[in-house]
Amino acid sequence: MTFRADVLIIGAGASGGVAARHLAEHGFDVVCLEQGDWPDRSSFPGTRPDWELAIRRDWAMSPNVRNRPEDYPVVHDNSDIEPLMYNAVGGSMIIYAGTWPRMLPSDLRVRTLDGVADDWPIAYRDLVPYYDAIDRQIGVSGLAGDPAYPPHDDYPLPPLPLGVAGGRVAEGHNRLGWHWWPEPNAILSAPYDGRRPCVQRGVCTSGCAEGAKASTDLTHWPKATAAGARLITGARVSRITIGPQGLATGAVWLDSASVEHHQEADVVILAANAVGTARLLLLSADERYCPDGLANSSGLVGRRLMMHPFSVVTGWWDDQVEGWQGHFGASITSYEFYETDPSREFVRGAKWALSPVGGPLNHILPMRAGNEVWGPDHHALMGRTFGRGASWAIFGEDLPEESNRVDLDPDRTDSHGIPAPRVGYRISDHSRRLMAYQEDRATESLEASGCQETAVASMIPYSGWHLMGTARMGDDPASSVVNSRQQAHDVANLYIADASVFVTSSGVNPTCTITALALRTADLLVQRRREQKVPA
Amino acid sequence: MTAADRSSAVVDIARLEELADIMLPAAHGMPSASEAGAVSLYIDEVLGWRSDLRQPLAEALAALDPTTFTVEALSAFLSEDEAAYAALTTVVAACYYLSPVVRDRIGYPGQVAKTYDPFAYTEWVADGLLDPVVERGPIWREAPG
Ligand SMILES: Cc1cc2nc3c(=O)[nH]c(=O)nc-3n(C[C@H](O)[C@H](O)[C@H](O)COP(=O)(O)OP(=O)(O)OC[C@H]3O[C@@H](n4cnc5c(N)ncnc54)[C@H](O)[C@@H]3O)c2cc1C
Ligand code: SF4
Repeated sequence: MTFRADVLIIGAGASGGVAARHLAEHGFDVVCLEQGDWPDRSSFPGTRPDWELAIRRDWAMSPNVRNRPEDYPVVHDNSDIEPLMYNAVGGSMIIYAGTWPRMLPSDLRVRTLDGVADDWPIAYRDLVPYYDAIDRQIGVSGLAGDPAYPPHDDYPLPPLPLGVAGGRVAEGHNRLGWHWWPEPNAILSAPYDGRRPCVQRGVCTSGCAEGAKASTDLTHWPKATAAGARLITGARVSRITIGPQGLATGAVWLDSASVEHHQEADVVILAANAVGTARLLLLSADERYCPDGLANSSGLVGRRLMMHPFSVVTGWWDDQVEGWQGHFGASITSYEFYETDPSREFVRGAKWALSPVGGPLNHILPMRAGNEVWGPDHHALMGRTFGRGASWAIFGEDLPEESNRVDLDPDRTDSHGIPAPRVGYRISDHSRRLMAYQEDRATESLEASGCQETAVASMIPYSGWHLMGTARMGDDPASSVVNSRQQAHDVANLYIADASVFVTSSGVNPTCTITALALRTADLLVQRRREQKVPA
Repeated sequence: MTAADRSSAVVDIARLEELADIMLPAAHGMPSASEAGAVSLYIDEVLGWRSDLRQPLAEALAALDPTTFTVEALSAFLSEDEAAYAALTTVVAACYYLSPVVRDRIGYPGQVAKTYDPFAYTEWVADGLLDPVVERGPIWREAPG
């Protein structure tokens, strides 16, 4: 039997979880379709001896490497960066690092301030109340008063430990006169909302068995379902359906036995991340209403993909700092080279986050900085570096380009035979200049912090964890896909809650902003529910 | 599960041990792979966890002759067969660093749980660690709107 929901959400990750909880708690009848399953924390590999082997295969960040039935392949032969994600209740938050910075006021005004890309149709101050609310829902650990930000509410929990490395680099930056601050993390430093605190095991990017790292399967879905939301797992959406008024009527989905279902709804919210959402909009092309893809009269669906070019600069001290240990997340951050400086050969900048370096296999078969060394020199290298290092993870602001895009691959499909997304993405010359400058400064930072040796892993391909921009927000339907409420210009009852709507990427990790925007979208839907157009 | 996962390719343990000793000889206070019993003790476990490595590992063993094998030959092998190279290096390293003797020598207890005082930050704040940052004043840029 089919029933019609008030709201159908596609994707139960970061944005889907936040929107579902808010709408369900405000009386909406919510159904969510999620292709993955509930994560089973007892199966997370971080406490097992095979942890470092598991993260190279079954717990890889790449869906193409994991290759589970719920993972759709992402074709990236023509991309300088490989998109990474996780498909389950909680979405990519299951394997994210948990760093939780807000955007800055300048991030939403790059056209006005720097003459590049576009301004957002909303401002930083529109986000602040939602940032504050989401920090409380998530349980963020941090310290207020960072002079890189306008003053804002204190975080609900104290900052996580700096660790030996964090303390040394903090002192190094004080010597240089450079900014640093304890990183805000979506990781509990103390018990909160029935969850246990972080134990510093350092395995965050293969799932936090403790449940200290926030993901919506812990922070939002239990509350959403308690408020009546229905979450259907193992449900892969193949397309959104359109009715005679050009409004969305629901979505077709396939269960694990490939049986087709249709879920009807008054309002559809896409929350499938910037690759999955663009894919679904393109899959939903309909000869009658939208031959080039749903909500795509601007031709921008799938275009302007941004992924944050990412470099790692690692430094090693001549003594032990237990560099395999600590939240992965970040201990400290630096915004010293974040804002535009006209004396440089690029505009905008990058955020730095100091992280642990991982276990022995990550040292000798590095996924980040360093080389493989065998023979007697292997032991010399391990003796010099193992447990003695920390890495600056550098996220450069990625300016949007229409040629960087997601479309549908003509050949490859997922396990249900649905066309896979194909990503074409090139790191621009501007980004290369920006990153080279940041890498040099980060090397100076670690040298000033007493490191004997440093190495740069420049713009590593296996780093597409921030997916943004493929259905941008804007006031003009000719040059944007959704309006400032994240409602599709072309389809009045279709909303996009994920980072597809980002106009520009900023240089910070996106999920704090994704969830604040998802909460704002849901909140505005609640406020305007009487005006909402729905299918007959 | 892929075809490679299901492989029942036979891994020549003696040959693997010989290669492993060239990749990880005794040096700088560390035991060789065979002194640590790396392959003999842990190969079943490692290939149990990562059965997908069995087939490319067998291919690496067939391609590399221990009597002429060197570290330089290993580097050259990377460009000849990347998957077999990755399987060999991953398996040898995984076996070696599972050994408690090796872990003890490098000071690695594994990824362990720690307790800490979440309010310890008040001490370094009181000690003035953040003072230079705060004293510089705001560094964010005002934006219109
Ligand atoms: C390794 C890694 C580290 C990261 N670290 C950080 C960090 O430290 N800080 C930070 O801010 N961000 C980080 N991120 C990014 C962060 O995880 C994402 O920004 C965030 O999860 C995106 O939220 P979302 O709701 O857009 O999508 P997701 O959380 O990816 O959720 C999308 C959901 O939609 C589902 N879905 C997709 N298509 C369909 C379909 N057709 N049918 C049904 N369901 C579908 C998927 O299964 C998935 O569960 C990291 C990401 C990775 C991979
Ligand atoms: S370090 Fe903390 S957040 Fe990361 S996995 Fe361990 S307990 Fe979870």
